[in-house]
Order: sequence, then C-alpha cells, then structure tokens
Amino acid sequence: MPVLFALEAPSGPAVEFVVVFAVVLLGPVVVERLGIPGIVGLLIGGFVIGPHGLGAIGSGNQTVPQLGQLGLLYLMFVAGLELDLGVLAANRRTAFVFALITFTLPFAGGLAVGSALGWELPASLLLGSLLASHTLITYPIFREAGRAADRGVATAVGATVLTDTLALVVLAGVSGSETGSGSTAVVLGEILLGLVVLGVAGLWALPRLALYALRAWGGDRAARYMVAVVSFLALAVLAEVFGIEGIVGAFVAGLALNRLVPNEGPSMDRIEFFGSAVFIPVFLVSVGLLLDPSVMFSAETLRIAGLIVAACMGGKAIAVLIARPLLGFTPPEAGAAFALTSPQAAATLAATLVGFDIGLFGTTVVNAVLVLILVSITVSTLVARRYAARLPPPERDAGALGRRVLLATRRGGPSPGVVAVVDRLARPDGGVVDVVVVHVEGEDVLPPAEARALERRLFRGALDGSVRCQVSSVLPRAVTMAALSTEPSLVVVEVGADDDAEYWAEGPALADSAPVVLVYGEPPHRPHRVTVEDPTATGTGAVAEIAARLGRRVVPAAGHTEPGRGEVVVRALASWDALDGIGVPAAGALLAVLPALDTLDGG
Amino acid sequence: MTVATAVVPAPGFWDGGDGSPPTRGLEAGLARALADRFGLDDVAVVVVPFPDIAGGDLGGADIALTQMTPTRERERDVDFTTPYLSTPPGVLVARYGEGAGARDAEDLRELRWVVVRSTTLTGVVEDRIRPERDPVEVDDRPAALDQVSDGDADALLLDLAVAQGLAEEPDLGFEVAGQLTGDEGLAVVLPEGSDNREAVDSAVRAFKADGTIDDLVDRWLGGSADDVPLIRVND
Repeated sequence: MPVLFALEAPSGPAVEFVVVFAVVLLGPVVVERLGIPGIVGLLIGGFVIGPHGLGAIGSGNQTVPQLGQLGLLYLMFVAGLELDLGVLAANRRTAFVFALITFTLPFAGGLAVGSALGWELPASLLLGSLLASHTLITYPIFREAGRAADRGVATAVGATVLTDTLALVVLAGVSGSETGSGSTAVVLGEILLGLVVLGVAGLWALPRLALYALRAWGGDRAARYMVAVVSFLALAVLAEVFGIEGIVGAFVAGLALNRLVPNEGPSMDRIEFFGSAVFIPVFLVSVGLLLDPSVMFSAETLRIAGLIVAACMGGKAIAVLIARPLLGFTPPEAGAAFALTSPQAAATLAATLVGFDIGLFGTTVVNAVLVLILVSITVSTLVARRYAARLPPPERDAGALGRRVLLATRRGGPSPGVVAVVDRLARPDGGVVDVVVVHVEGEDVLPPAEARALERRLFRGALDGSVRCQVSSVLPRAVTMAALSTEPSLVVVEVGADDDAEYWAEGPALADSAPVVLVYGEPPHRPHRVTVEDPTATGTGAVAEIAARLGRRVVPAAGHTEPGRGEVVVRALASWDALDGIGVPAAGALLAVLPALDTLDGG
Repeated sequence: MTVATAVVPAPGFWDGGDGSPPTRGLEAGLARALADRFGLDDVAVVVVPFPDIAGGDLGGADIALTQMTPTRERERDVDFTTPYLSTPPGVLVARYGEGAGARDAEDLRELRWVVVRSTTLTGVVEDRIRPERDPVEVDDRPAALDQVSDGDADALLLDLAVAQGLAEEPDLGFEVAGQLTGDEGLAVVLPEGSDNREAVDSAVRAFKADGTIDDLVDRWLGGSADDVPLIRVND
C-alpha cells in the first residue's frame, strides 16, 4: 500500500483556515437551532478548536489571532458606520440624558467591582468602561417588528453613539497610559493630542478624502469597498501613532464615513457581507480560543462573573428605571431601552481583548466577561422579543426626505443635471438612490453590460445605489411598480418631451406616502437661483425642503413663472390634474412637486 | 525567581560574557523584567536539557525561558504563556562554508543538513526543504552548531531570532543565509497547572504592549527579520 504511506497529516495555514471557517459556518447554525444567538456558537466553536478544546489551533498559533485583530478593527468600523446619526439628531436630548445615565451607572459599578477585587485603577477603569458600553445586538428584533422609530428604541440607539464613544475615550486613556513611555502627564497629553488629531482627521479630513476618492474610482464596486477598508485601517494606524488603540481609530472612521455609506445602500451591503461572512466571525472565533472551561467554571471566575453581571445588568436596569420618569418612557419603551442597552458583545469584547493584550486582564477576567456576554445576550434577547410585541405600532414615518430616492429615467440614463439634483436631495440624509430605467413595452431591454456602465457613471461620486430595469406600457405605471418594491422617501422622475401628462392623471397611488418630483428640462448643475412658486400653498413643507436643498439662493414667486437660463423653478402641485399644460421649458428646469398625498389637507 | 534554560551561553538570549552568570540577552532581560514586575530581587538560572523541559521537568524552576515553541504535544506536559516573540525559521550557515551562497530551494536541497532531535524545526527540514542527503541528527543545539562550525554539515535550521543572535557574535563565524515562510512563537514555559501562569501570561502581554519586548529584541538580536532574504520552499 505505498500510496497510503505517502499520505501526510495535514498541517499549515490551509488546515487552520479550513478549521476556522468550518466553525464560522457551523457554529451559528448549530446554536441557533437551540434558540441561542449565533455569536455564542462562534465563541463556543473557537473554544472547541482551540488549545483548551481539541487543540486544532494551538496556543502558539499567530495566524488566527492576527486575522481576528483585523476582524476586531472591522467590527468597530462597522459599529461606527451603522450608527444612525439621524436617529441621534432627532432624539438628541433624550438620547444624551439617557446615554449619561446608562453609561455612568455600570461604569461606577465596574469601578466598584474592580476596587473590591483589589485591582489597580487602570484595570478597574477599563472594567467600568467595558460594562458601560453596549452593542445593539437586539436592534434587528425591533426593526423587523417595525418598531425602530419607537421613542424608547430611538433613544437607546441614539445613546449608543455617546456611550460607545465615551467608553472608547476611557479605553484610549487607560491603554495609552499603560503602554506609553514617559511621565503620566506626557502620556495623557499625547493621548489628548491624539484624540484631537483623530477628531480632525476623522470628522473633517477623511470624509473629504473619501469623497474625492469615490469621485475618482467610486464607479468600481471593488474600489468603493477598498476606500472604506483603507480608511479604517489608516485611522487605526493614526490612532496607534498617538498610543491610542486602533479600534478607536476604526470607530472614528466608521463615524466619518457614516453619511457616505448609507445603511440601506449596496456599499453597506458589501461591507456588512464581508464583515459578517469573514472578518467579524473570525474575530469571535479568535476570542473563543481563549475560552477555557477549567478557568471559566472555577470558583474565582464565577465569583468575578457574578459581580460584573450584577454591576452591568443591574446598572443598565437602574439606568432605565431612573430614565423612565425622567424621560417619560412607557413601560414597553423602558423595556425596549433595557433590551437594547444591556447586551454586551462587540464593544465589550473589543475593550476586554485590549485589556488582555496589554496585560491588564488575565484569562480569568476574559472568561468572566464571556459569561457576562452569554448572560446579557440571552436575557436581552428574551426581553426584546417580549417588549417588541408590546410596543404600539408607530405612526407612519416616511423618514428623512432623501433617505431613499427612487429616480425613474428612460433608456440611456438620467442627464447629468438630474443626477446632480438627486445628489443634492439625497446626500444631506446619507440616502440611497434606486435608479429605475423604464422601458415601454416593445423597447429593447437594457443589456446588463450597459446597465453596469450606467451604474458606474451614476455612482462614481458620493451617491450610492443600484440600477435596475422596469418594463411597462406607460411611465407612471412603471414608476409606481418600482416604488412599491423600494418604499422610497422621495420619487424623482425625469420626464421626457414625449411623456404625456394625461397618463399621470390616471391617478397612480405613487404619491400616497412619498413626495414625487417630476423634472422637466435639464437642471443646471449649480442653479444660480431657485424659484418657489406660491410658497404658502398647502403641503409645501416638502417643496420648501426640496428647494432649499437645490440651491443657496431660493426666492419666492406669487404665480407661475418660467425658469430662465441656469435657473430652477419649483412648483407645488395639489393633484395630478395640475400637470396639465406643463411642458419642457425653453431654458433651465421646472420641478413639479406633488407632496405626499397623506400630508395634504384631506389627503 | 528561578529560571530554567537548556543552553548557556545562547548568544542573543542568555549570555554571561566572560563566564559570569548569564544576565545578557533577550531571555535574560525578559526574566529580569518579570522579576521586577513581581517584586523579586534575584533571578537564579538553572540549566536543564531541552527534552526534559519540554517533558515537564523544569528542574525545580518557576519558569523556563529556552526559545521553546508551544506545540500540542508539549502542552500535555507543560503550560505556555502567550508567545513573547514570533519568528520564522532561519537558515544558519558557516560564514565561509558551502551554505553561504544558498539563494533558493534548489540550493537548500543540495546542502548537508544537521537537525536537533525533539525540536519543531526538524520536521520543517524533512517535509519542506527535503534535502537530497539525509540530515545528520544530534541531541542538542551546541552539537549541531559544532557540526556546522567544523564543516561536517552546511546548514542548520533555527528560529530566525535565534539564528540572528548567533550571527551577531562575530567570533562564532555564522551567518543567516535566509528565512523561510511561516511564524513560530517562542513562549515562556511553566510547570503544568502552575498557579503563576495567568500572572506571567499577563506580564508577557504587557511587555509586548508597552514595548519592553521590542526594546530587548532591538538590543540583543540586532537586525530586523525584514532584512533577511526570503527563500520559498514547498510552501
């Protein structure tokens, strides 16, 4: 049997990757069948293949932890990217107050636990900060239940921006003081300077650089993705230059690109796909390698775990109890706020791993934190399911005007002027643009290669979205069908000279829930004047908003007016019938706006 | 604190200079840093054969620092900390010997190799380099170095950091011909079930984070691994 003798036991990176990715594949599937969140399966899977389990990944292995380190940066980048700054802005007062309470109490609890255990101050501070942060792991439960806009949910989501930022600032201070050289004053000065530089680089320079890069290469999907990757790695490196943990830089990069990468757009899809398929699971598996049952179930670990679970969950619960009368939460809103702010996962693991890497925490603390994560995720998931069902259905919320813009155009794609209009309407809200190329029945359908070329042309800049085709006998019907599947916040239609107004009068349900803008003519790239006709008419809130986004110089006009060269006229319509007589102007562009019908009197 | 090691002097890691107690080198410095962190005044060094340490006999020492790589087999008998150093395999040759001109896999296969029993790198020579002639097997590193020095063998595979430490000593007459791909970690060894494991492990991670290890590497191991040419063999 010479062939069999030639067989060799597998070894090397390929075997390690097979083992790790098998866990990434199977870990969540197995535990989710038991009703346990998938993240737990990845942690347990890491233990199974790790040095304290089957030993397939030894304690000296460097590959998996290094890949996990990249996953950790990716995780924090996505955390910053996903945060809904719009929700924070809309609920800033309650979010700010709730953030302070839900940060301070568990932080104080962690500090007290560390002191009681006789830890040094930096370790106690780090424990406090990791208990004070939280991960929105239960948010999808509320989103899928249609309760994302609920006040309790929105407040907790908005508070996350502040709690995680505060936690990372504490982390930066602690890790910097532990790993930096020089006096405490010098180290703290360096960290402070680093935070200022990170703030300037992240919130001022990076968005501009990224926008420049997207304009140059954004038409290419891979390049668009790599702009995001290079951005978070660059800011992670910049943070490390100042002795600040790289995860702080990655998080700031996420905040910086938040508006350029809309949560509902295809770029976010790609970032989330690679994150959830590869990088973040590998990070969680690498954490699972540290899980040691002989340590986890020791009396000492369970004692520490009990204390930090009490400090964290107790602190979060008391924070909600205080916030309830203070912010006027109903019991279901308070329950939702607790379910959203009590789970400990990404941010907690990140801070714990940093504490472990710099020698502040040992394996006992890491295993105790893993117990906290398992307990908090399980409890919060149960609470979230209970209160998501009890929250009242929200009143219809169309969201921000430019959240999701549906642009309907003919074959050949929209004119540059219309693209500029859509860009101005969508960008303030970090919106997504769904472009629908309408084919009248009998026309040749746009070949995929042309659709791709159109996509590259349209999404070369800051715009993010997709292109698809819709076949129908008439334009209004095609647009209506497209709107049904995309649920836009705004519909923009490029009307050609041949599009007869009478079809719109058939009364498509298009404007039931979103304003419709019909663009006649070629809008100038930068209109030197935007005229709003009859600004006092009913339902013109959206009209005024649209006009304000189109140009800096907005002037009212009492009656109908014709646009001049380089001008845009915005006309509010009371109904589809008002389209009669509107045609393509000789110069400039006319935007006929039908506000969402349910915002009109009697609508 | 008592520290076990297998070879003294081990240039770059344990060296006493002119016969005095070994206080110079990366592992000597790491032992001193550990003692300082735990508030211990003295560091005593005992020499214990490498296979004995790997088998769990540290000769009564608290820890062993002997350029040992954690493996699944060894983890049955001893505990390891987080690796304090990651290093690829390095090809050590005599400065003016046959191996000095080795540049590629073909050159490596033609050399006469010496390997040390019970080290993880023996398998790398046999499985990846696959020399044309069977390697000479010896019991420990000093014997292997003698083989290369005396011209009985052309090359010895060591952890690159160890090879660089030896090449740094001009009197020994060695040089590093190249490095192979793949990292191995060098970790602190503790008796199995040692109560000190978590504290020593945390200390090693702290030393990596605060630059202590980097300083020791710069001081005792000289040049960066990036300066050593990479030789691709059966990757």
